[in-house]
Amino acid sequence: MTTFPGTDRHDRRGGVLAEADRLTVGVRGGTGPTILDDVALSVRAGEFVAVVGPSGCGKSTLLRAMAGLLPPSLVASGGARIDVATGGGRRDVAWMPQRDGLLPWRRAWSNALLGARIAGRDVAASEVRAAELFERFGLAGAERRWPHELSGGMRRRLALLRTVLADRRLLLLDEPFSGLDALTRRRMNSWLSDLDLVGTSTRGSAVVLVTHDVDEAVLLADRVLVMSGPPGRVVDSVATRKGGDGQARRRLLELLGV
Amino acid sequence: MDALAYGVTRRVLLPVTSVLALLLVWEAAVRALDLAPFVLPAPSRVAQAAVRTADVLPAHVATTLAEAVLGLLLGAVAGTLLALGVVLRPRVGDALEPLVLLTQTVPTVVLAPLLILWAGFGLLPKVLLVALTVFFPVFVSATSAMRSADTDLLDVVAGLGGHARDQLVIVRLPGAVTGAVAGLRVAATYTVGAAVVAEYLAGQSGLGVFIQRSRKAYAVDQILVGVIAVALLTALLVGAVGLIERAATPWRPRAASTPASSRHLTSEIP
Repeated sequence: MTTFPGTDRHDRRGGVLAEADRLTVGVRGGTGPTILDDVALSVRAGEFVAVVGPSGCGKSTLLRAMAGLLPPSLVASGGARIDVATGGGRRDVAWMPQRDGLLPWRRAWSNALLGARIAGRDVAASEVRAAELFERFGLAGAERRWPHELSGGMRRRLALLRTVLADRRLLLLDEPFSGLDALTRRRMNSWLSDLDLVGTSTRGSAVVLVTHDVDEAVLLADRVLVMSGPPGRVVDSVATRKGGDGQARRRLLELLGV
Repeated sequence: MDALAYGVTRRVLLPVTSVLALLLVWEAAVRALDLAPFVLPAPSRVAQAAVRTADVLPAHVATTLAEAVLGLLLGAVAGTLLALGVVLRPRVGDALEPLVLLTQTVPTVVLAPLLILWAGFGLLPKVLLVALTVFFPVFVSATSAMRSADTDLLDVVAGLGGHARDQLVIVRLPGAVTGAVAGLRVAATYTVGAAVVAEYLAGQSGLGVFIQRSRKAYAVDQILVGVIAVALLTALLVGAVGLIERAATPWRPRAASTPASSRHLTSEIP
């Protein structure tokens, strides 16, 4: 694991936060199929990058590799290189799973502060920030509720809030709104695009969002990586203009063969 | 009919009616067949025996209850601690687990004579026997709850930068509490029975002693009083553990009781 010089101490807007090169991931022992095949990618501070592709193309595995969460059954091949910015000796990333991963025995407030607590952030400062974000995330008043008392949309927002509160520079979101009904999903997306997630950190952060929804990608991201597979490959990178880009959308659909 | 009255009918009236019917048939059968009281006494006779023994019974009940509760606590603490040790130190776990399983292939009541030989005739051997009986279900469910901690939740902790220690404190331990308490509820049903069996063999006080003395006097009605007391005591303990479980897991949806009955209501009222 290489540390980018300076990313730990300086706020270098535009600096590279994550970079992968010749990233090939397969089943340990080399018997199974290749999951990721020679993937290269680079994410800079201030960027919102979406990764789209069909189911099973290895999008989630790519995100897990960046988070350092490859399951024990998978292994990156010898030539693979992933560099992720570090802070305080740990990867400066916060990962959000497909399912919300809320702890059922903690109230919403305590779940939200989990990331900050693990990251060793100042408790008082995190609580002030949490109160502010509960408001912005439309969760005000739900602080004392148990996760099972929240609606599906609220749970996802709470999980996202937890990820943001960890105050890491790289946010890795794995299909954060999958499984929600179409209406809720659309509402969540327009809310998220107004939120300016990249700007929530003062230290210059970036977001990588995995999704199979082209509209979601176009709406939220500055740049969309298109994957095909299996085995997973990055086939193209499409820049989008913020807030609905018909041209980019058509290009993406064409690339995905829809 | 409104919902409340309907609920009372289903949950109170019908069960009480069936119990009363059973008692009536029993009473009628004993009288019609003219059964001797030392074979099968009528419910009315059992009730009389309960009244007759009302002055000695409370002391016996208190002894058995004390043995059951102390044993339950001891067994639960020992089971949870060992589960922790086994999960935290896998090597210790590998070494100990077959031993723990082996001890459980011997039904604990079989050990009662040994315990009495080693620990005397007082409270201690009974408490130990109850603790041994409780230990295993608590140990097993706490261990499996900690091991099978939701991998999603473990990944969330790791994905936010947490280490194995964070995973233990944030995910595994809280999961273990849930598991241990679930095991405790299973264990609670055995406790009074284990205490009574130990009392059969030796002792001066307790429901087991009461039942043995009644047997020697051929007082079948008194034996039945003792049996009913054992049943009530067990129900009491299981209920108490249920309350503890609720208090320990306040975050659980209360789905088990209310929605189930309301489902019945909606499905059966046209």
